[in-house]
Amino acid sequence: MSPKTTLRPLCAAIASAVIVGFPAVTTANEPELSQTEVLTGLENPWDMAFLPDGTMFYTERCLGLSVRLPDGEVEHLLGMEGTEEYATTADDLVCEGQAGMNGVAIDPDFDENRTVYVYSASNMSEPRTNRVLRMTVNSDFTQVSDRTDIVEDIPYKPAATDHPFGDAGAHNGGRIRFSPEDGYLYVTTGDNHNSEIPQSPKLLGGKVLRIDQDGKAAEGNESPEGFDPRIYTYGHRNVQGITFHPTTGQPIVTEHGPWHSDEINALVNGGNSGWDPKPNMAGRGDCPDDYCGYEPNQTEGMDPKERAAYMPVTDTETYPDAMQPAWQNDGLSQGISSAEFLVGEQWGDWDGRLVVGFMGIGFGGTPVGQRINLIDIAEDGLSVNDVAKMPVPMGAARFRSLVLGPEGDLYTAVDEGSIYRITPE
Amino acid sequence: MNTSLFIVIAAALAMGSATGQAADKSAGEALFADACAQCHGPNGKGMASFPSLSGRDAEYITSRLETYRAGEKVGSNSFLMIPNATDLSDDDIANLAAFIAESAE
Ligand code: HEC
Repeated sequence: MSPKTTLRPLCAAIASAVIVGFPAVTTANEPELSQTEVLTGLENPWDMAFLPDGTMFYTERCLGLSVRLPDGEVEHLLGMEGTEEYATTADDLVCEGQAGMNGVAIDPDFDENRTVYVYSASNMSEPRTNRVLRMTVNSDFTQVSDRTDIVEDIPYKPAATDHPFGDAGAHNGGRIRFSPEDGYLYVTTGDNHNSEIPQSPKLLGGKVLRIDQDGKAAEGNESPEGFDPRIYTYGHRNVQGITFHPTTGQPIVTEHGPWHSDEINALVNGGNSGWDPKPNMAGRGDCPDDYCGYEPNQTEGMDPKERAAYMPVTDTETYPDAMQPAWQNDGLSQGISSAEFLVGEQWGDWDGRLVVGFMGIGFGGTPVGQRINLIDIAEDGLSVNDVAKMPVPMGAARFRSLVLGPEGDLYTAVDEGSIYRITPE
Repeated sequence: MNTSLFIVIAAALAMGSATGQAADKSAGEALFADACAQCHGPNGKGMASFPSLSGRDAEYITSRLETYRAGEKVGSNSFLMIPNATDLSDDDIANLAAFIAESAE
């Protein structure tokens, strides 16, 4: 699909004409957006999760878990190594490169069990791993206790390699979300710049896991014979976004591309997303540190199409049954991060649109691309009908996380250090 | 180079050469907002994989920018920084260094 047919500047122009009172020439009903800065001065805020009354749990990648209460008061609950002023500090929780404390999720039965979950890197095992921690929050939101690590063995990149963004902790996944449809916790992981991981039946990187509140495999995970039963889908590169279609419950992920082709994928239970960056296969020779993920050329600009032919994100030649992406960002890689659905009449024509955040990169002639996209995705998640840029008041930013609040407003955390609330009028 | 960057650089150049004075911080500020903030953050405090520039003096920043401009590697992500320094003039670098040294948080 070409950018010409996917972007809709004309519609935007028409919508604004309607708002300033010109005769309506169309039924376009696109809301005006206003924004409030909910929190600022944060350090790499990474994810948020809301209770119905507006209470917002949020993570900062190198600091830990905090909660903002509806009256604006903030309590720092679980700090990482070296932090102060947190009710509890867990010295095993570490941050490096892209890793640290990432996703946060609230238990669907929070009213009864007051349970929250976070995804964090930890040095409790050697080598380090990523873990999913389960904790109980006390009644006045000042403490967490009863930490149980329900997943302890998600791979973490232990040392730097010769790759772009090649530091330790890279390609670390980290989004966690409960499906409103099946009630299970979905955990997205990354390939660690390690070519063995994505197609490995046992290593949990480059996967989407589907587990229950104790970390046990969800019933009905259909990954192939011999796979770890917690695996729902495999063959991913680095999944940092997951959400569920508001009417069908279909899980949909966003996956970072390697200097080309950021992807949106509808997950198929047991499916292979077709990422396999191993050397000496699929027409490739040796690669730096045994990982072909940025080949044929790591650090010089070249046509993304040539890259895609050499190192596809979805290798359908090797894996003909691989899940097909719904969208590939017109062949570009621009730091696709988080995904969420807009739901509610206040969003007008955008009710039911998928919103996707891009952090921007700007490598090798590709436009930086910091934005939120509004995507009209088919109900089955297999194709997109329309893609537009959301005209957000804050303009460009590294949009890390997008979460719908309980009142239906869209919240976004940006790497610049703020969490904004975007309200449709 | 994108056009807006070109315009800002051209403006910075024009200002710098017209007065021939010491570094022009406000030109540095404009150029930083347009060409650097997207990675290093609006106040240069760094984000994600992009280093913080806070606490660096003008001399350090100047020497780094000259190194990148020459196409030389420093750290493992230099390939991302080098293209952003290639077209900087000496005045740009002086202006940026003055602005960053004073303002980066
Ligand atoms: C595409 C993202 C990007 C942009 C845009 C960018 N930088 Fe950088 N910058 C980086 C990265 C990545 C590094 C670290 C490079 C390395 O590993 O050597 C860096 C390093 C630096 C350093 C050295 C920091 C240190 O601690 O030694 C300075 C100074 C700097 N940048 C200034 C600038 C200025 C001034 C601009 C605007 C003209 C700019 N950068 C634009 C990504 C960027």
